[in-house]
Amino acid sequence: MSQNALSRELALRIGLAARALPDTDAKRLLTVLGSCIAAPMTESKVAAIDLATLKNANHGTFAKVDDSVLQQALHILKNTAPQKILPDVQAYQEGDLPNSVRIACGSDDAIHVNGHFGACAWFMVYQVNSEEARLVDIRTAEIPQGLVVDDKNAFRAEQIQDCKVLYVASVGGPAAAKIVKLGIHPMKLAQVESLADIIAQLQQVMAATPPPWLAKAMGIAASDRFKFEREAVG
Amino acid sequence: MALYIVEADCISCGDCEPVCPTQSITEGPIVFKIDKRTCTECEGDFDVPQCVKVCPIDNCILPLEA
Repeated sequence: MSQNALSRELALRIGLAARALPDTDAKRLLTVLGSCIAAPMTESKVAAIDLATLKNANHGTFAKVDDSVLQQALHILKNTAPQKILPDVQAYQEGDLPNSVRIACGSDDAIHVNGHFGACAWFMVYQVNSEEARLVDIRTAEIPQGLVVDDKNAFRAEQIQDCKVLYVASVGGPAAAKIVKLGIHPMKLAQVESLADIIAQLQQVMAATPPPWLAKAMGIAASDRFKFEREAVG
Repeated sequence: MALYIVEADCISCGDCEPVCPTQSITEGPIVFKIDKRTCTECEGDFDVPQCVKVCPIDNCILPLEA
């Protein structure tokens, strides 16, 4: 991921938001957004802009625009509008990323890990190793119509059974127990963070000294792990 | 007779530490560990080892082969 280039999804959102505003093209909106936040422009920074900031930004470019119109543009930028923009799933074949783990992130906007396990719109499924991360799937975990499910949380956990780690903003106790039962390590975040930040944090841990259970999930042989453990003790 | 924690499976949740009646469980440099000199497998205190009961991972706390 380049630091300076906008992601395809963010560019698309800015384009659509500009269209919702009067006499505004993507370039004009981009200038205004650029004056609100420090470079580089990221999805999570843009999503954090509030109505007052946007209205007063760039010497009041949008000062005369109606609040409801601005709000609509913000919904598009935050990906909370009814028409949501999702990133493309990347191709992945078993063995593409050595020493990788599959993780799932509960999200409602495809920008942040902000979902509650039992209610989030999507599980963003990534295959991650210390150098690369690929979005391999986006799962809704909606119960299909007509299917009767006794236990909604168990059903949702089964949808991400191939993942080793699950990041969510919140999860209840009994639900967490069902997740652990399926061999998934649930992680409840102290605060909402962007998907990109979470993956970067995980990659740091994977590159440095992963805890034994994670090393096992990464497929690092026990003999290699032993070496690391001795270093850590010494 | 004592129990031990499988290092590769322990997720360091710490649930086992407070339930040990003999305070044999401590956080080690990597994961939690059981002092085999003081662990009684809860004999005399409980019917089942309390750490095994609360551990969220299956087969993470096992009897040490003496």
